[in-house]
Amino acid sequence: MTNVISEIRKDYLYNLMLRGERADGRSFDGYRDISIQRGFIEKAEGSALVKLGKTQVLVGVKMQPGEPFADSPDRGVIITNAELVPLASPFFEPGPPNEMGIELARLVDRGVRESKSLDLKSLCIVPGEKVWIIFIDVHILDDCGNIMDASSLGAIAALLNTIVPAKKFGLGEDYPLEVKDVPIATTAMEFGGVILFDADSDEEPIASTKMTVITTADGRICGMQKSGTGMLETEQVYRIVDIACERAREIREKFLEV
Amino acid sequence: MIFMEEKISFIKDGLRLDGRRAEELRPIKIEVGVLARADGSCYVEMGKNRVIAAVYGPREVHPRHLQEVTRAIVRYRYNMASFSVEERRRPGPDRRSHELSKVGREALEPVILTSYFPRSVIDVFVEILQADAGTRTAGINAASVALADAGIPMRSLISSCAAGKVGGEIVLDPMKEEDNFGDADMPIAMTPAGEITLLQMDGGLTIDEFHEALELARSGCRQIYEVQRRVLIEKYGQLEGERGERTEVATCD
Amino acid sequence: MDRIDRTIVVPGDILSEDEKRSGEGTYVKDGRVHSLLYGFANYRDNRINVIPLAGKYVPASGDHIIGIVKDITFSNWIVDISSPYDGLLHISEFPKRIDSEEMSLHLRIGSSLMARVKEVDCTMKVELTVNDRRLGPIKNGRLMEISHTRVPRLIGKGGSMIGMLKKELNCNIFVGQNGRIWVSGNEDDMDLAIKTILLIEKEAHTNGLTDRIVEFLRVEKGSRS
Repeated sequence: MTNVISEIRKDYLYNLMLRGERADGRSFDGYRDISIQRGFIEKAEGSALVKLGKTQVLVGVKMQPGEPFADSPDRGVIITNAELVPLASPFFEPGPPNEMGIELARLVDRGVRESKSLDLKSLCIVPGEKVWIIFIDVHILDDCGNIMDASSLGAIAALLNTIVPAKKFGLGEDYPLEVKDVPIATTAMEFGGVILFDADSDEEPIASTKMTVITTADGRICGMQKSGTGMLETEQVYRIVDIACERAREIREKFLEV
Repeated sequence: MIFMEEKISFIKDGLRLDGRRAEELRPIKIEVGVLARADGSCYVEMGKNRVIAAVYGPREVHPRHLQEVTRAIVRYRYNMASFSVEERRRPGPDRRSHELSKVGREALEPVILTSYFPRSVIDVFVEILQADAGTRTAGINAASVALADAGIPMRSLISSCAAGKVGGEIVLDPMKEEDNFGDADMPIAMTPAGEITLLQMDGGLTIDEFHEALELARSGCRQIYEVQRRVLIEKYGQLEGERGERTEVATCD
Repeated sequence: MDRIDRTIVVPGDILSEDEKRSGEGTYVKDGRVHSLLYGFANYRDNRINVIPLAGKYVPASGDHIIGIVKDITFSNWIVDISSPYDGLLHISEFPKRIDSEEMSLHLRIGSSLMARVKEVDCTMKVELTVNDRRLGPIKNGRLMEISHTRVPRLIGKGGSMIGMLKKELNCNIFVGQNGRIWVSGNEDDMDLAIKTILLIEKEAHTNGLTDRIVEFLRVEKGSRS
C-alpha cells in the first residue's frame, strides 16, 4: 500500500519547516507528550505501554532459564524482537518482520546491550549450562510516527519494572532485575536541509533520511543509526548528536519520576 | 510444575477458585476507539485477558486476485503477543491461531453487509496482549465493537463467551485453571436475537449438560451485549451534555 | 410507534414497528426497521434514517470531490479519492485536448484536483471528469481532510454553514463530498479556516453548533486585531 500525499501538503509542511514551525505547533526539536504505564501486562516479568503523542507501543519482558551461547558461557542472553503488526498501521503487513522491523529490534537491542544497562554476568546461573534468557518483545499498537523512540523507551521502562522469576524455576526468591543505565533513543529526520525530531505520521513520509542516536545516563553515545536513502552533511550530524543528548537527558529525568 | 497431592476443589460452597458463582462472568472492561490509525478499534479486558481489535476498511484488496466482484471479502487475523502467555511464545501464527482466525471471521461475517462494498476488503486484526482462557471470545467481542466503530454496516453486534464443565459443574466463562483442568469447554458467539455464529466444543458432555451449558453461554452473551452496547452509546452520550430529553430506543429481543 | 430524535443507535437496534418507515442506514426484518449502523437515528420526510459516525466514502454520480493523482497509465490518471475505490480520469475528460505523453505535464503523481464523479458502475468502477470551468488541477491554497460523514454538517442546510464560513473567513472554500477540502486566502485566514473546520468536524453532531461557530469566529477574529 502506498502513502498518497499531495504535493500541496508536502509544500505546506516544508514551508512551515523553513520558518522553524511545525503543523502541530511544536519546535523543531520538541517531543510530543509522553506517557508510560509500567506493568501493563501483569503476567509478563516486566512490561510498559508507551504513548508518544498518538503513537502507542507495548513492550513485554519475559525471562526463563536456558543455554548460554557457546562463545559466552557465563553470560545471560538478551533476545529482542519487534512485531510491526498490521493492527498498528495501514502500511504494516502480516508476516515475519521485514527489514524495518528487524532494524528497529536491533536498534532497541543495541541500546540495551551497549549501554551496559544489564550486567549479563550476573544473569549466569550455572556457567556453561544455564543462564537467564531475557526476551524483550516490542509490539507496536499504533504507528503515528517515531515508533523507534517509543519502542526504545518502552524497552528500558519494561526492564526497569522486571522481576526475575527465580521462584517458579526453583532458583530462589524472585528479585528485581538490576538495571544499571537508562539508554534513551532520539530520532531526527532531515528534509530539504531542515532537521526535525520526533516526526509524527504527517511528517515521517516526507523525510528521506533519519538518524537515531542512543545515549546513556552518563552522557555517552552507545548507539547510532542513519537510515533512509538521503544524505547528511557532517554539520547536520553534529547538530543532531548535540540535540539528541539534550532531549534524552530531559526524557530520562522526566520519565524516571513517572 | 503441576503435581498435586490432592485434587483441587474447583467449586467449594458454591464458589469457584476466583470467588465467582457458576453463572457469573469475569469482570469486563470495554473501550472504544483506542487507536488513531485504525478505522475502528476496541480494547477489551475479560478477567485477566487483555485484547485489542482493529478494523481497517473497506479498503482496496491486495493482492488484487483475491477481490470479489460483488462484495467485500472479510479477513480476520487472531495473533498472540509473545509475552501474552506464561511461557514466552515464538512470534507468528501457529495452527491454533489459523483456526481461531477462521472461526473468528465466521463468527462475524454473517452479520456484515458485504454486498455494500464490492471489490474491497474489511480487515479485522485481533491482538492478544495477555491471555487467561477465553481469548477467542474476548477477541470476537472486541472485533464486533471495532467494526461498529469503523462504521461497517451490520445487522447487529456479535457477543461471545464460553461455558465449561469443571468439577462436575457447568460454569460460565472458565478462567485459565478451570479451562486447563476442566472436562469440557464450549465457546459460542451469537447475535442479540440468539442466532449462533460460532460454536465449538471440546471435552465430554452429556446431552443434558450440553443444553445447560448452551443456555448458560447464551445468558453470558446477552450480558456482554449489554456492555458492548452501553459503551458505544456512552461514547457519544457524554458529548451530548446539556441536550434535551433523550428518548429510549428499543433493543433487540 | 417511533420514539426517535437524533438518538445514538448501534447496529441491530429496533427503530420502528412500521416497515414503511425504513430509510437510509436501516434494514427491515420481520416487519420491523433496524439500524444497520452505529450512528444517529433521525426523522426525515416520514422516514427513519441512521447517519453514520464513521465509515468510508463511497462515490456516487454527481459528487464533487478532491482527488490526488497516484498513477498515470496510457490514457487514464488513477486518482486517490479517499475511498476504497480509485477514480479514473480519462484523458478525454480533460478540458483541453492533450496527448498521452503530455499527461504528466498537466497532472502528475502527487497533483491534486477538483473533479466531479461522472459515473459509477455496479462493480464500483468510478469515472471522473474535470471538464468544467470550476474543476481542474489545484495549484495553490491548502488542502485538509475530515471524515466524509461530517460534510453535510459542514455544508449546512441549503449551504448555510459553508456560506457563512466563506463570508466570515474571507476565504474560498471547496468542500469535496469525500471529506477533502480546499481552502484559499491569506495565511492567517486559512489558518483560522482550518481550525474552524476541524472544530465543526469534532462537534458536528451537537446542537446549537452554528451559533457556537459564529461566536468562535467572532472571538478569534477579535483577538487577531
